[in-house]
Amino acid sequence: MIRKAAPATRAVPAQAPDRPAASWGKKLILGLLTQRLILLAVLVVIVLVAMSLLDANGYLTAPYDADYLAASLINAVPLAMLGLAQMLVILSGRGGIDLSVGAIVSLTGIIFGFAYGPLGLPLPIALLITVLAGAAAGAVNGLLVATFGFPALIATLATFYAYKSLALVVSGQRPISSPSIQDFYSAARPVEIPLIGGGLPNVPLGVFTFLIPVVLIVWIVVNKTTFGRQLYAIGTNDIAARWAGLPADRTRFFAYLLSGVISSLVAVVTVAQFASARPDAGVSGNGMALPAITIAVLGGVAITGGIGRVGGIVLATLLIVWLNAGILLAFEGNDGTQFQFLALGVILLAASLLNTFATRFTGEKS
Amino acid sequence: MSATASERRSAPRVRAGQPLVTAQELILVVVIAVMWVVLGFTTPAFLTPGSLQPLLVAVAPIALIGVGMTCVIITAGIDVSVGAIVMVSAVTTGKFLVDSQAPLPLAVLLAMGVGALLGALNGVLIAYGRVHAIIVTFGTANLFQFLGLRIFNSSTVNGIPPTFEVFGRGAAGSFLGVPISFAISVAVVLIAWWYLRNVRGGRHLYAIGGNAKAARLIGVRTGRSVLAVYLLTGALAGLAACFVIAQGTSTLDQSVGAGMELKVIAAVVIGGTSILGGRGSVLGTLLGAVLVQSVTSGVTQLGWPSQLSDLLVGVFIIIAVGTDIARKRLRSNR
Repeated sequence: MIRKAAPATRAVPAQAPDRPAASWGKKLILGLLTQRLILLAVLVVIVLVAMSLLDANGYLTAPYDADYLAASLINAVPLAMLGLAQMLVILSGRGGIDLSVGAIVSLTGIIFGFAYGPLGLPLPIALLITVLAGAAAGAVNGLLVATFGFPALIATLATFYAYKSLALVVSGQRPISSPSIQDFYSAARPVEIPLIGGGLPNVPLGVFTFLIPVVLIVWIVVNKTTFGRQLYAIGTNDIAARWAGLPADRTRFFAYLLSGVISSLVAVVTVAQFASARPDAGVSGNGMALPAITIAVLGGVAITGGIGRVGGIVLATLLIVWLNAGILLAFEGNDGTQFQFLALGVILLAASLLNTFATRFTGEKS
Repeated sequence: MSATASERRSAPRVRAGQPLVTAQELILVVVIAVMWVVLGFTTPAFLTPGSLQPLLVAVAPIALIGVGMTCVIITAGIDVSVGAIVMVSAVTTGKFLVDSQAPLPLAVLLAMGVGALLGALNGVLIAYGRVHAIIVTFGTANLFQFLGLRIFNSSTVNGIPPTFEVFGRGAAGSFLGVPISFAISVAVVLIAWWYLRNVRGGRHLYAIGGNAKAARLIGVRTGRSVLAVYLLTGALAGLAACFVIAQGTSTLDQSVGAGMELKVIAAVVIGGTSILGGRGSVLGTLLGAVLVQSVTSGVTQLGWPSQLSDLLVGVFIIIAVGTDIARKRLRSNR
């Protein structure tokens, strides 16, 4: 039974229809206001230029150069991957969100640590077990949300508690850091880019082994597969998609399952980065879920579903990571980490308020 | 049975005919009662004042913020910044007490004022910025966190005088065996329950959550109401910060308030308030908070690993919301 008629969501093309006589400058401002990718790209450039200027004038405590930027990319790996995971579930619509990603990182990290450390399984098998565990954790979310119709916020809040608690109980609250896990640190070391790398700065290995493959695969999945197009369809208008015969529940289920899989890969990266499997890796402090949701929203993913692009996530991550890296150099001691909170909050609020004003300014409703 | 069903179909739904308590609340009372009896038999120490009083004291701040959060969620919003508001409020008030040895009313006023100010910022952005509540409060949570950390100034607040001991666990904090902080929370719950049920402004919150556009068209000042519920939530989070200070030692560290938003949302959801808006009750929230805290202290008293309580809270959320969904499906299939 359809309780209330869904408002006709007019599919507004991302590009405004050609306006005759619009000058080049006007187009640029319009693009800045309405196209998230352009805005983010400009902001990234502004951050890089501003920080370099500060550096050149000696305001920073250490050089803000290409080597530093490349090294800071290690922080981009979990952030961008979890941002993509959030994008998949938020795209699926009906209030889609996944608060449990941080807890899945903790839980599957412990499973990986146990399989690769004390059990001594070979790396591919340990990886497989970890990914399967992540898929199972995501499938529980998917089952609750897609099959049983739980609101996503509640279902994943519940599983957040459950997985977080399981990780702590299973591990006895002790991190796993056997010799093989400690050696696994090499998976996060900086490497030269092959073939062309000689003159370029060294980039953390995790960027190549995890981040870039995941970005490419997610891009292909959402843009080039039937599943991806169905994901956008059910997120834009669930009821219309159902009437069109699309498998809405199954598509939504797999969005949550994929989110779990990506989280388990992040768990492996995190274990490598810290050279130990910590039972609170994904939930300590503010956890990993909130920054990931922030990245997704900043990257232009509409919280109402159906709108969002992989490029937005990547640019938003670069913006935050490089800005944070600069802030750390601009302040001494703990002040830097404090100002990172400020920067994240201000950018998120400004970006979303800008959306509101842009729609008023252009007279378009989205 | 079929006669009543057809009657129900023909009669318009009259809000005034709402039952005093919902099925969900009755179930919660039964569940809590069963749990307390079972815990009472397995661990004889559970049903003693020495065990129940700290439980109720711990419930107080969650239930208090839960009142605001219930109103927010009824309007189809959410506030994930309450943990950060508690932090800012607690550190500001803590420092103020250390510096000035101010009397109780002034300190409470300051805490609630700080909370209300931060809540008002949320409210303005959500009501007039037309940005989704979860995004706004994620953003402001970061801002408030920054604010709190700056006030902490990379250290702890030490030597807080016992001004708030009336809200604490000690002998000064209870009257005739009832913790004063818990009594205050119950009083706030009852006022909110009456307001939401019987006062026009309260009914408007349900209207906004049910259909914001329709509410605006029939003349509800939606912006003002929405602003008010976030301001209220902030002010209650400020008062809760006083309770939190009272429950701790004379030292306040930077983790104060962390994770509180999820605890509060869990209590609200277990209490039967629909996260989609338009339906919910503060009575349920109070029961939800008692249930969550009973699980936590039950697990500790049974000697199980304390981390297990979060798993049980998760399971309870699933059961509470699951039965609600199942009931609704059954009703629509009949």
